[in-house]
Amino acid sequence: MILDLHTHSIKSDDGRAKVNNYCQWIRSKDINIDGFVLTEHRQFDLESDYSPLAKKFDLCILKGAEVETEYGHVLIFGVTEPLMKCFDFSSTHLALADVLSACETHNAVAAPCHPGRKRVGMWAHLEEFGVPDGVKIVEVKNGGSRGEEDQVAQGMADELNYLGIGGSDSHIVSHVGRCATRFPSAFNTEAALVEALQAGEFEALSLK
Amino acid sequence: MSINSISEIEFGADLPAFEPDTSLSAGSEFADLVGWTGGRFSSHELAKKEGFPSAIIPGIMSQGYLIAMIHNWAPSAEIKKVDTIFRAPVLADEGHSITGVVTDIDEESSLVEVDLTVTNSKNETRVFGTATVYIP
Repeated sequence: MILDLHTHSIKSDDGRAKVNNYCQWIRSKDINIDGFVLTEHRQFDLESDYSPLAKKFDLCILKGAEVETEYGHVLIFGVTEPLMKCFDFSSTHLALADVLSACETHNAVAAPCHPGRKRVGMWAHLEEFGVPDGVKIVEVKNGGSRGEEDQVAQGMADELNYLGIGGSDSHIVSHVGRCATRFPSAFNTEAALVEALQAGEFEALSLK
Repeated sequence: MSINSISEIEFGADLPAFEPDTSLSAGSEFADLVGWTGGRFSSHELAKKEGFPSAIIPGIMSQGYLIAMIHNWAPSAEIKKVDTIFRAPVLADEGHSITGVVTDIDEESSLVEVDLTVTNSKNETRVFGTATVYIP
């Protein structure tokens, strides 16, 4: 199963894509993914129910979040209401250690995204803050990367023994599926995604 | 082929590719015309002193190119909104291309949404956004 683990819809302040149009695009353009995870900026979208769209287009549509820490942006998979009470998702100054600890407690997975990017990526902050404890997975393929950003991310992952995921970081419809993650088996719930990530058997893909 | 009616448009259709003039002279002339006198638009050297990798193309000029591209495709289109996100500057004297693709069609209101992406010669996205276009 191939999932784009990093997408934004109009729920994000800089997202311009409607979820319905993502689905239409994937099917009309035969994009080689089986679904995507909506990781809206600084929030978890509790209210939206995408199951009718998922059924209509035969796609897996899951929800996560992208939060902001001193090490840059971090994707969270397996968000639950108890996890949401542990820290303020809307903050731009979260402590990565707090995010990782809360995710560990509530059986969620946190993964720094576009870590090779200046300012909002983890690599840029290692010199100042040191290597953080508890990171196991980072995004090594990001559809919005420029220059050497993905190479920096992969180099860091190799050096620090992190596993790598991929996501398009799409903000407009036509950018979905540019990068993704392949899993050995199919699933369609956030809990199963967490299990699959914890199992560690996945591969980051560039589909650009 | 130019578009004259919303009934001619299909979801996922590509707009004809567009290669904007992103030369330093064009960017500098545009900046002068709109009264933007900063060296970042007129000189690679001065732009570097301001922390840019080289001179940059004014953002509203890039938006103008996006609009020109849409009008080349659909001359009778009325552009309701162009919403751009500048991920990185469009550098002068570097080749760029603009792609556009139809990502939503509302025949009832005659509105079409178009994804727009400005990429450089390394295929890096510099600017992306959407346009909402009225096509009778």
